[in-house]
Amino acid sequence: MRLLWFLLCLAAWGIAHAQVPAQTEAAPARALDDATLRAACMDLLGRPPLEVERAEWLGRGRHEFLDHWFARREVWANWVEEQLYYFLLIDNFRPENERVGELPTLLAAGKLDVRTAIHRIALSPSFDQRNPGADTFVTVVMEQMNGLRVQKNVRELEVAKGIYDGKPGMFLGKSGSTQADIVRISIEDRSFAAQLLAREYARIVRGERDKSVAAEEVRRFQRDPREFSAILRDWVLSSAWDERVRVRRNTPNRMWIAALHVDLLGRAPEAEEARRLRTALDGLSDTGPLRSVLARVLIDSGQVKLPEKSAIPDPTVWIGGLFQRLLGRAASADELREFVRAFHEPECRPATVLYALVTHPEYQTY
Amino acid sequence: MSSQDWTRPDRRTFLLGASAGALALPAAARATWSPTMERKTKHVVLVAFAGGVRTRETFGAPANIPTLEAMAKEGVLYKRVKSSNLGHFGAALSIFTGISEARGIRENARGGDPTLFEYVRKDGGLAANDVWISTSGGAQQTNYSYGLHPDYGARYGANTVDGDGLFNAEFKSILDAWGRPKALPPREAELLSRMRGAIGGGSGAGGDDSARVEKYILDELTSGTADIRGANAADAKAIRVARNLLVIFKPKLVSIVLQQADAAHGSYNGYVEIIRRNDEALGELWRAVKADPELRDSTAFLVLPEFGRDADLNSRRGLDHGDGSNDLEYVTATCWGPDFARNRVIEDDVQAIDVCPTVCELLGASAAKARGKRLPKLYA
Repeated sequence: MRLLWFLLCLAAWGIAHAQVPAQTEAAPARALDDATLRAACMDLLGRPPLEVERAEWLGRGRHEFLDHWFARREVWANWVEEQLYYFLLIDNFRPENERVGELPTLLAAGKLDVRTAIHRIALSPSFDQRNPGADTFVTVVMEQMNGLRVQKNVRELEVAKGIYDGKPGMFLGKSGSTQADIVRISIEDRSFAAQLLAREYARIVRGERDKSVAAEEVRRFQRDPREFSAILRDWVLSSAWDERVRVRRNTPNRMWIAALHVDLLGRAPEAEEARRLRTALDGLSDTGPLRSVLARVLIDSGQVKLPEKSAIPDPTVWIGGLFQRLLGRAASADELREFVRAFHEPECRPATVLYALVTHPEYQTY
Repeated sequence: MSSQDWTRPDRRTFLLGASAGALALPAAARATWSPTMERKTKHVVLVAFAGGVRTRETFGAPANIPTLEAMAKEGVLYKRVKSSNLGHFGAALSIFTGISEARGIRENARGGDPTLFEYVRKDGGLAANDVWISTSGGAQQTNYSYGLHPDYGARYGANTVDGDGLFNAEFKSILDAWGRPKALPPREAELLSRMRGAIGGGSGAGGDDSARVEKYILDELTSGTADIRGANAADAKAIRVARNLLVIFKPKLVSIVLQQADAAHGSYNGYVEIIRRNDEALGELWRAVKADPELRDSTAFLVLPEFGRDADLNSRRGLDHGDGSNDLEYVTATCWGPDFARNRVIEDDVQAIDVCPTVCELLGASAAKARGKRLPKLYA
């Protein structure tokens, strides 16, 4: 009996001590792999991870990643860009004033909430110039900010047009008498919160939320718009977002441009560089041919650092690494076999492999 | 229906014709449409003279639009075309879908209804390079190329080129700095194709169409299109792009969407100047078609604004669009082509959404979901 007791104690001690290293080495919940890290960076930063970020974040928890980046300016700079694009405040209509320019810094520091940020954007001279005249201005405010169809809300439209011209009236249940009042009333209305959260969810997670969850999130936002970060965090930690990572869709032009620069040049594009390329790509419904041209032009420009073929000791490892980094997934056995076979042919250069990956339609999805 | 099939009506056309005969259409109607008649029209240029243009500054002041005036004298002029104030985006989209459907002014998303481009491509079995839209209004207008209807959609969409977005001097300067892509030796190109084909177990190499578009883009960038300047530069580029597309690809359908007349919000004089310049650019396009042996006797033009503008000037001495007046809601359409009547003026009310079924019928397609009707009294 004593022997049995001793053996049991020994076994328990062994298990307990064996678990210590296992606990310290266990992967964190929702550990980032290449697919989720790339997707999270694309969603929040508008670009894939830089090489140094990839080394830093692979294997670490998604929640940690979110906590880190939500306090950084870059996430909010990307968010502001998304809002400007949503309102089509781009190119000549892009607001360049200080009050809009400082938004990312203030949002990162928690000194401003997203509702106030959109309020500032809508009060900028650029918004007014982009939407000239009472009919256009009020229509855009109602449609873009509140998700209201003006054809079904003719009375509100007419009253708001009067307010725009200085005639006092009741718009969305509140009184106003100036153009600025229209914007204020619009963003204070519950429909603003519902519209903002719905479109942000569609952008980040894709699809539609459960109605009761959506209603609760709108309530949270209406009580305190600073809750937006917490709501966003919940979305990216959800199983719905895991599904979003699995189902890829076409990468918007501005994000594809950023991805190409990060993946090939190791840096994000300059704002002006990105604007010019985006304007050109936005001019085509099928951007495939032009994206292909641009990717090849960039690779051929001599700016992309590529190893000499002779300096690649193991093509299988090198090509497998490119799949992981550029497509966010491992190469299949068939893909690897075909690529390595081609690589061993004298006419195939490292650049040829890169062409194949970055001009392929899969690279144009995220 | 391929281009060789025009003299052989398909079953649908035959049955329609038989029904028409059985119903003993009035003589006037028979004169305007006969399914057994071989159409001379093989190419259609549809111009949304958009941005909000009133008849007062076009056919009400003919000196502004000598090209449209000349076209009307050789074609058919519809003086009362009902449009809807759905915003520029929605109103122009309704011309292409044949359905008046409200869309947000800044809504940057596709509609749910099929467009005439999809009808024409699906029914006619046309390739992507047979159907183009040339626009001047940026990202939003690429949504005209196709809708999200499950029976149609992207696979039947038009190629869309925004002239000002793509062919601008700034973008050209980037490509000049980066240099041109190098031509690959045949064996390397073959290996590239093999590797691309292996990714995802499917094909991703693109076809001849893609290669032709790539070449077109690069050639166009080195031509003068990127250097066009002036008050109507974006519109002029859209028209220039359409002209070059017509000459290079000889597509069945080219649509042009103009936009810059909307400068009227802030400047009446600027708006009139843009109308004048756009008419002049249309004149160049028309002359190019007339000078092309393949196009001159087989190309039809349809030109109309998406809606007009307010009756009265605003406080900035400009013209908005929102007063519900006849100036806003009725526009003028000009049709010119080998099958159309000459010097005919139609005073009856028609609708902007009638354009979609009319173009589809011209090209042998059926605008199955459209709510408009074929434009009356159009044919000779």
